[in-house]
Amino acid sequence: MEADIQDKKTFLYDEHLKLGAKMVPFGGWMMPVQYEGIIKEHNATRNFAGLFDVSHMGEVYVRGKESLEYLQKIVPQDISTLKEGCAIYCQLPNKDGGLIDDLIIYNVKNIDIEADYFIVINASRIDFDIPFMKEEAKNFNVEIVNKSDDFSMLALQGPNAKYIIQKMGVEFELQPKFFTIQKTELNKIPVLLTRTGYTGEDGFEIVFENKYAKELWNMILSFKDEFSVVPVGLGARDTLRLEAGLPLYGHELDENTTPIESSLGFFVPKEKKEDYNGKTLILAQKLKQKPLRKKLFAFVMEDRQIARNGYDVYIEGKKAGYVTSGAPSPTLGKNIGFCMIEFENLDSNLVTRLNNNQESLGIIIQVMVRNKLYNARITKKPFVKKNYEK
Amino acid sequence: MNIPDGILCSKTHEWVLEENGEALIGLTDWAVEQLGDVVFIELPEVGSVFGKDEVFATIESVKAASEIYMPVSGEILEVNEQLINSPELINEDSYSAWLVKIKPSNYQEDANGLMEYDDYKDEVQ
Repeated sequence: MEADIQDKKTFLYDEHLKLGAKMVPFGGWMMPVQYEGIIKEHNATRNFAGLFDVSHMGEVYVRGKESLEYLQKIVPQDISTLKEGCAIYCQLPNKDGGLIDDLIIYNVKNIDIEADYFIVINASRIDFDIPFMKEEAKNFNVEIVNKSDDFSMLALQGPNAKYIIQKMGVEFELQPKFFTIQKTELNKIPVLLTRTGYTGEDGFEIVFENKYAKELWNMILSFKDEFSVVPVGLGARDTLRLEAGLPLYGHELDENTTPIESSLGFFVPKEKKEDYNGKTLILAQKLKQKPLRKKLFAFVMEDRQIARNGYDVYIEGKKAGYVTSGAPSPTLGKNIGFCMIEFENLDSNLVTRLNNNQESLGIIIQVMVRNKLYNARITKKPFVKKNYEK
Repeated sequence: MNIPDGILCSKTHEWVLEENGEALIGLTDWAVEQLGDVVFIELPEVGSVFGKDEVFATIESVKAASEIYMPVSGEILEVNEQLINSPELINEDSYSAWLVKIKPSNYQEDANGLMEYDDYKDEVQ
């Protein structure tokens, strides 16, 4: 596919072409969707190691006296308990509780970079997040710096990732623990190394200056024979995150849906003394004081048809919502997905069952595939057990 | 992979091979290469009749569903049952992994707009 004039290229664009990647536009970038094949790359990540160019992701520095107060205002999570060197998964709600983005916040006060907090945001949302974050910052003694163009980023995921990091100079016991960050060197290249990812596997994300991109990429791929690491494109990134039950902005998350409605209630604390954007609705929904308007569910198809983003969902013969993501699961050999069920026109008994996590499991829904309805069953997420090292 | 002699290809990447009033229809290797891993193929019922350029089947890769069009009109005589349980065969060789056998209803005229394989290859490359 030809690049649009406006689509940006990461510093690894030429490396992707050399590896025979198929490039596609994604979030304003030309990105590799696959190299050798999605299933192969998916399985390599689950069984060995996968290397992803995620340089399109955005990075933000937050610094200043009121960094903490500022973050308390813009996310539902309690950042006051986030220890130095640690990370937390957060959402960025608007005033009505809908989500502008989801993000990971790192407390980097103990780390020698020009920030108190380091935030990683979605590529497709940089142009929305930054103006919003800067506007919110006006009420605080805080500075927001968009570092997205300064850094490249790799994700090294899978059970062999830690061996590769070890070979590059960071012994196991010195490697960052789950959801932490450190400043270190990989074969003398200065990096921020985090134990995070988007696959459900143990693994790392590596942030560094653009000039090191090719060297680091090829250095990691040189462990191909020893640790079976392969380059992985966005295609397998999507099936991996879906199996792990992780949401993708623009699919499971959007500006009209609260984190509770997107089934992220687990990450939203019941109590937080500070006010935050959208708190009234988000907290009322979390505490079941206000009904949900809709809710995200995970499902497994009972038939061989594959549910795709946008397909209509029916319950008991009535249109009840739509598929937000759907794909074959290479690990399970079944077709899986997420759907948003809208409660407005549904029978109240059914809504009660859907609102109860236990009772909702096993409810049969139907997905419209090419003008025919096929059964699917509501299930728990994740679809595939996470394999984190904690 | 062997490209059978005498196949004709459509702009929408199907091939047809006519012999003694019957024809096999499949997908070109170029199309399959673009699709990537094929995981599911929905084939029509035997006996159904389709016009030229009508959708008669759907092929699902990991990433997306794609419709497959009739390169020539006709009645479905047989579907390749093997592909129902082993859709990945089409990734291995999309010429031996034909999709359907048809009885063409108007072959001479329908085949007019189709290309020989070499011309097709030039067009897609």
